[in-house]
Amino acid sequence: MSKTTTAGARATLRSGISLHKLGVFCGLSAAVWLGSAEAPTKLVNEGFSPFLISMGMVMGAFVARWTIPTLLKGTGFVFDDLKEKPHLMVWALVGGMLWAVANTLTIFAVRNVGLAIAFPLWNTNSLVGLFWGCLLFKELRGSRAKDWAKVIGGAAAIVSGAAVLAVATAQQNAGTPGKAAIGIIAALGAGVLLGTMYIPYRKAYISGMNPLSFVTIFTFGELGTVFVLGWIFYGGTGPLLAELNRARPMLFWPFVGGFCWVIGDLFQNYAAKYIGIGRGIPLSNTNQLWGLAWGALVFGEFVGLTTGSKLLILMGSIIMIAGAVSISMASPPPSEMTNWDAAMHRECDRYGLDRENVAAVVGGNDPLADNKHPRRWWEILIVCVASGIFVWLAVGTRAQHIYVNLPWMILLILGTIIPLGLCGTLLWRRTRFS
Amino acid sequence: MKRANLVAILTDVHLWVPVVVLILGTVLLMTLR
Repeated sequence: MSKTTTAGARATLRSGISLHKLGVFCGLSAAVWLGSAEAPTKLVNEGFSPFLISMGMVMGAFVARWTIPTLLKGTGFVFDDLKEKPHLMVWALVGGMLWAVANTLTIFAVRNVGLAIAFPLWNTNSLVGLFWGCLLFKELRGSRAKDWAKVIGGAAAIVSGAAVLAVATAQQNAGTPGKAAIGIIAALGAGVLLGTMYIPYRKAYISGMNPLSFVTIFTFGELGTVFVLGWIFYGGTGPLLAELNRARPMLFWPFVGGFCWVIGDLFQNYAAKYIGIGRGIPLSNTNQLWGLAWGALVFGEFVGLTTGSKLLILMGSIIMIAGAVSISMASPPPSEMTNWDAAMHRECDRYGLDRENVAAVVGGNDPLADNKHPRRWWEILIVCVASGIFVWLAVGTRAQHIYVNLPWMILLILGTIIPLGLCGTLLWRRTRFS
Repeated sequence: MKRANLVAILTDVHLWVPVVVLILGTVLLMTLR
């Protein structure tokens, strides 16, 4: 019996869930966690630049992106995976750099035109991702007309829903008058960069790379670029460090946000792996619903909203949910899967990868997934250092005097943890996190 | 890394699309700041 067949049989014993369903669950769980990642940053008192808060989140994400893969699979597995496909480290770094530049552009966009206009514009990243997925990785090719309609219609509905929600909550951010054009260009630019960032994601996964290995390298591109941009914007290392030191009492919150964000991003990566970027990214872009829920229910941000605005929020949410449902039902037919395989074979031929092995990993049946990788002493060190950083930041954090609705907060925390448990269990049972 | 792999990377359109977008995005960011 071949290696692939054995792995396939093992996976069938593990769990019967289809990869499409698993990918959809991952996309929706990503939305929950990416949306919830905004909540801790709302606890930051005013007086700090959004760039600094973003930098805090990236530093938190850096810590988490080393800790979570270490806990789940161990450094031995991650290093073996990277050694097998060293060329993909280039794409992981480029992906991280794209994210850092895009995120900085979103800060400019929000400053100049406000969140209401900026958010829907950069939310078009899912359409950009869909375009690249179709063009470069043959996603949706060979699909039936009704599947095209479900995916493109669903993605468009999610972007439209985002636009409606953003308009309804426009009172939160008015932007800077007279700088609208710059803000719009920045938001559109961020959308293109974020949509293009999914090229490295998809390339890595059709080559059989594990998402946990990918994010471990991705984070270096991300953190390095954010520091270079900070160095340029603050005018050197001294002023940048001084500003970080000034922000020390609030850094814990963006760090926690970064941690939640990494969990969301990991689910997003698994979604990109199992249902492609054309379907996975629009689903994870419904994160705006969760950010809205935290703002409205926990922080009471929309107390003074008019009935018209509340109706708009309801309408935007329904449109977004309808878009997500539409994509969830667009399972790729065998004719499309043939094209997915062709894209995978291109990678195998180009980089000398074992076709059978890669096909097994892409199918969630990594032959190495059940192998025990010995744990190393430095893994304990990594986890201890990461925990130590969070404890150190928490100890020095000043109490924030912000209204919080405790019952809603408990409910939303539960609503965030339950998908983590459920989807994490499904991923483990079906793929062993491969 | 093998020389063949290096050539494969450098001639891969999957690399140049994101790299070109990254360069354009960085230029845009520096222009807007």
